[in-house]
Amino acid sequence: MTVPSSLNQSSSFWVNLFLQNRELSGFIIVLIYLLVASILAYILSNHIARIYRGEPTVFSRYAKPFIDFFEKMLGPVAKKKMKLRDYVLSFVFFNLVAGVVAILAIYFQNYVPFNHAFAANNFSLIINTVVSFLTNTNLQHYSNPLRFTYFSQTFVLIGLMYIGPATAFAVSMAFIRGINTEEGHLGNFFHDLLVSFFELIIPLSLILTVVLIVAGIPETTMYYLTVHPLFSGSTVNLPLGPVSSWESIKNLGTNGGGFYGANAGFPLENPNWFTNILEFSAFTLIPLASIMSLGKVFSSRSFGRMLYMVVMGIFLFSALVAFFGEYIGIPSFSGLGMAYTGNMVGKETAIGLASSTTFGVGATMTSTGAADALLAAYTPTGMLGIIIPLLMNDPLGGVGTSVLNLFTFVIFTAFIASLMVGRLPEMMRIKLGSKEIKYSTLSLVTHPLLVLIPLGVTFTLSFVMTSFSNPAPFRVTALLYEFGTSAANNGSEIGTFLTNQDYFNYLDALIMLIGRYFIMIFQLVIAQSLAGKSPRSEGENAVRLGSPAFGFTLFAVMIVVGVLSFFPVLALGPLLSLAKDFNLFIWRV
Amino acid sequence: MFRINVAQIPSILKTTMLQFNPVSELRNPVMLLTEVAFVLSIFMAIFPGSFSLPATASYEEFYLSVIVMLFLTLLFANFSYAVSEGKSRTIVESLKKMRKETIARKISDDGTESIVPSSSLRKGDIVNVGAGEEIPSDGEVLEGSGFVMESNITGESRPSLKLVGDGVTGSTLLTTDHLRIRVTSDPGETFIDKMIELVNAATREKTPNEVALTIFLAGLTLIFLIVTASLFSLSLFLGNAPNLMVLMVLLICLIPTTIGALLSAIGIASINRISKYNIMAKSGKAVENAGDIDTVILDKTGTITMGEREARKFYSVPGVDQKEFALDCLKCSLPDLTREGISIAKLAKSYGASVSEQEMSGYEFKAFSAETKSSGITGENETIIKGALKALEERFGIRDQYVEGVCKEISSRGGTALPVIKNGRFIGVIELIDILKPGIRERINSIREMDIKTIMCTGDDEITAQQISQESGIDEFVANSTPMDKYQVVLREKENSKMVAMVGDGTNDAPALAKADVGLAMNSGTPAAKEAANMVDLDNDPTKLLDVIFLGKQVLITRGALTTFSFANDISKYFVIIPAMFSSFAVLNFLNVLDLTNPILAVTAALIYNTVIIIALLPLAIRGVSFRPSSANELLKRNMMLYGIGGAIFPFLAIKVIYMLLILGGVAW
Repeated sequence: MTVPSSLNQSSSFWVNLFLQNRELSGFIIVLIYLLVASILAYILSNHIARIYRGEPTVFSRYAKPFIDFFEKMLGPVAKKKMKLRDYVLSFVFFNLVAGVVAILAIYFQNYVPFNHAFAANNFSLIINTVVSFLTNTNLQHYSNPLRFTYFSQTFVLIGLMYIGPATAFAVSMAFIRGINTEEGHLGNFFHDLLVSFFELIIPLSLILTVVLIVAGIPETTMYYLTVHPLFSGSTVNLPLGPVSSWESIKNLGTNGGGFYGANAGFPLENPNWFTNILEFSAFTLIPLASIMSLGKVFSSRSFGRMLYMVVMGIFLFSALVAFFGEYIGIPSFSGLGMAYTGNMVGKETAIGLASSTTFGVGATMTSTGAADALLAAYTPTGMLGIIIPLLMNDPLGGVGTSVLNLFTFVIFTAFIASLMVGRLPEMMRIKLGSKEIKYSTLSLVTHPLLVLIPLGVTFTLSFVMTSFSNPAPFRVTALLYEFGTSAANNGSEIGTFLTNQDYFNYLDALIMLIGRYFIMIFQLVIAQSLAGKSPRSEGENAVRLGSPAFGFTLFAVMIVVGVLSFFPVLALGPLLSLAKDFNLFIWRV
Repeated sequence: MFRINVAQIPSILKTTMLQFNPVSELRNPVMLLTEVAFVLSIFMAIFPGSFSLPATASYEEFYLSVIVMLFLTLLFANFSYAVSEGKSRTIVESLKKMRKETIARKISDDGTESIVPSSSLRKGDIVNVGAGEEIPSDGEVLEGSGFVMESNITGESRPSLKLVGDGVTGSTLLTTDHLRIRVTSDPGETFIDKMIELVNAATREKTPNEVALTIFLAGLTLIFLIVTASLFSLSLFLGNAPNLMVLMVLLICLIPTTIGALLSAIGIASINRISKYNIMAKSGKAVENAGDIDTVILDKTGTITMGEREARKFYSVPGVDQKEFALDCLKCSLPDLTREGISIAKLAKSYGASVSEQEMSGYEFKAFSAETKSSGITGENETIIKGALKALEERFGIRDQYVEGVCKEISSRGGTALPVIKNGRFIGVIELIDILKPGIRERINSIREMDIKTIMCTGDDEITAQQISQESGIDEFVANSTPMDKYQVVLREKENSKMVAMVGDGTNDAPALAKADVGLAMNSGTPAAKEAANMVDLDNDPTKLLDVIFLGKQVLITRGALTTFSFANDISKYFVIIPAMFSSFAVLNFLNVLDLTNPILAVTAALIYNTVIIIALLPLAIRGVSFRPSSANELLKRNMMLYGIGGAIFPFLAIKVIYMLLILGGVAW
């Protein structure tokens, strides 16, 4: 589609080529985003591989005093070699304490001095918010920052934004240790947690904060700025605050909850194309680097490469669906004969179509859920690109969960692939018994069940369906998205209905908790079970996890499980909307 | 193809019907759900109003066809179970017939013989068996030798020779001579008892792999149950009250009925097939393990080469007459009844040597043993010994350059040199050649193509071993090996975390057999070896180990392939049933890729496909999917292509064809 505008004329052939072929330039932008993210992740993957293998890293020298200090404070519990039960109890207890403290702190936020008091929050919202920040979801059923004080934001919510990813990363360390060890224990949760904090998350977020400040994002304790918009008699309160440090951990920790309600679509969170690609690379950084590191961790380069290809295949596919969906836009508009440059509704012009959609897909590929555009205004096709990764339980995952989630599919595929080559199920040369298959199946079914059961129940409850105003198929999409985002601990929202009501606050909190902790525990059960088994020497006759054939099988399994679980809902939600749009188009022409 | 014996039909039908009992479906969640749906469908068809189903004539025909199809699905599943079960039942019946009560001549401690029923024999009892009598229980030959007819167990019509130390099986018939046997098992623990128990257990118990697969199928069935339930509330919400019967058909089409119906048949069929090979596996698990082998340890003799070697040529040392040498060879080989000895005697006779029985009576024969590595005769004034060069040189402390040269030359040709010593002096060398078993090269090749390492153990020297292994395609060999070496090889491979399979027969092999993951003992072997192994070959053909590995792989591949196929099929069913269910949303018609214009007919076509595919795949499940031995990577590629991608595409075509046939058949709903 060419846009007849004098602005798009340039003397350079190349500039003209890209300006006039926006499909091509959009495609190239998508590739650039994935390439930049991959390069940065590749650089970090060595660091993460060292952490996973328990080797010292570049940050060890600085981290050691902190780790030693906290370990001394914790006493013998930080030295114990933990088995499944102790490990699970440790991280559940640690998260429980953090959650309870956070709930109390927010409940009494108005009593903390030096803060600007707000109206009391409803209890269900507090529960929902704390759970969602604790579980790395950051579903925001409130409009930040008008609900929580600077104290709550800086200490409670940012605190949780560190605790969530660090816990998951520690669990992923234990999971990998379980596969790699023969010693029968999973390591020490507190040690793993401290390593995640001081050797990975804190140093990286400090670096990113500085970069973001330089890029022009505010970092202040100043009270609201009162601004006078042009052409308007009224005044607007513009909240400022510790935006950079929030933004830094929001992205690095794959949290995704915005300081502002509009998330990265708000200029103070994401002022320009540079911060857009920077934030995109920040939230894909640790998940992608963790996956890339697996090649080194399991001393099989091809395994790491295969996982990267599979995940990136899904990423690229979804990103292209989203971009072209938005680029083609609403056919009925074009049918009217208007000069139409794609669906820019709800998108920031400074960022543009391709960058926005890629950012959006990246946010659902990872468990970040940040958004730099209004998802509710996406076309049905564009929405498909965003929602597909969500329904596959974030294939790229979050900090730590990238490894855990991907392995539910890997174990399962190894089971089927082993059978198909005539061998008893094995993975990484370790036998998979019925126990591993049981928990792997449980992990696999958790996500679809967590989405479909609440969805089915909610549709029958007319009292919660009152706040919807969009057409029916879109309501299906909205609810599917709401539960999908909770179950995948993603946190992006398309809203379009009143989310801050007790029903959704409590239900989502429950879904998030199960989606987060059940899968972690199931994966640790598998790890514990594998920890006792001795690895078999590499046999040529077994399925090689790094082979293209296995990669294809893994890809097919991920797609088929996703499709089989959600096809009917997708058909009656986005596909129905899509079909209606196209029908309209045909009718008009 | 699999065949069903006509005489079995009544019992198969009976089992089929008994399987409708929901309690027997409990072991299979997929079929249990189908049965529930079947019962529900009957209620729906009788009381359509209570389920707010339309009750026009064409709808009623549709309901009826759903009931019939669900019934057939269950019937086919039960039938496939019954057919396999029927096959094992035939085996059990024939085994039970063998286990009939006989009398035994028991020798008491004081040496007197008393007649007792065979069921009263205990381990350690001694019995006499005469020609024409049945051997009363499993045992070991203490005295005597004779030919035993084992056709009722092995199917082999030639009687086999049993010597001292050999194992004999109860219920087999001694055709010649007289044996004194020590009973080696208590009643209820004999070979036949164990076999009956095994076949019964195989139909009753699931192997760990089957358990794992069932768990996985249950998990996916749960997802589909929830998918269908949420679809129900979703379509209500969209103001399109779903037809419950169609929804139920969707559920049945989605849950993995194909693999669910055939799973138990695959397992039972594998036990049946291995019994057809005349191998007794001690558990179904052992068969599956066989598919998982990384290393196979094979004996040279009997497995790779034809039993004993054959003599080809005599080389006498300078100064010894060729004919005289042939005579000495004849003398020392006549009492040696091994095939090797017989062939030497035959060759010697062709050189013109002959000796009378009277002359031979003055000699004492010493048979070959693994320790001395030689055999020979000792007479009043001469001792003739033949054996391995090294062993003889060490024993007599002599060397002979000519003999060494000849031996080396023979070895370099891959033959075996058998030097002969007469009265402490080398007199010549017999050249023996190994004959590879027909077809062994191809079989070893097929094992290697599956990337399984083959190790050959042989008592021969390095050069001979190398020759044979090169000729037959063996990866690695252990020359000059004793039975203890075999154990060491197993240990070494196990330490490298390999799964090891091996064949053994002697008592010396028992530790190695016990240590190996798959140990195949020969039925002719000692009871200790048979006890230690987890499979016993009734035909005494060690090459069968390779068949067992193939079979083990085949069982697992069949399971994997049918599971994959079952799931790949689901995609097409969505594309048929979803547009049909929501035909009121005209805009969703773009999902109707097959262009099936009549919604209920489309749903019926999908259900018919879902039902018919079970019975269509039953032969495949029982026979096992065919596969070419190749690397894991190749197998995965091929099977994903065939059962994954093929399984996704094929039902689209099949459903379209069924739909067209329904239309052509004049079904107009």
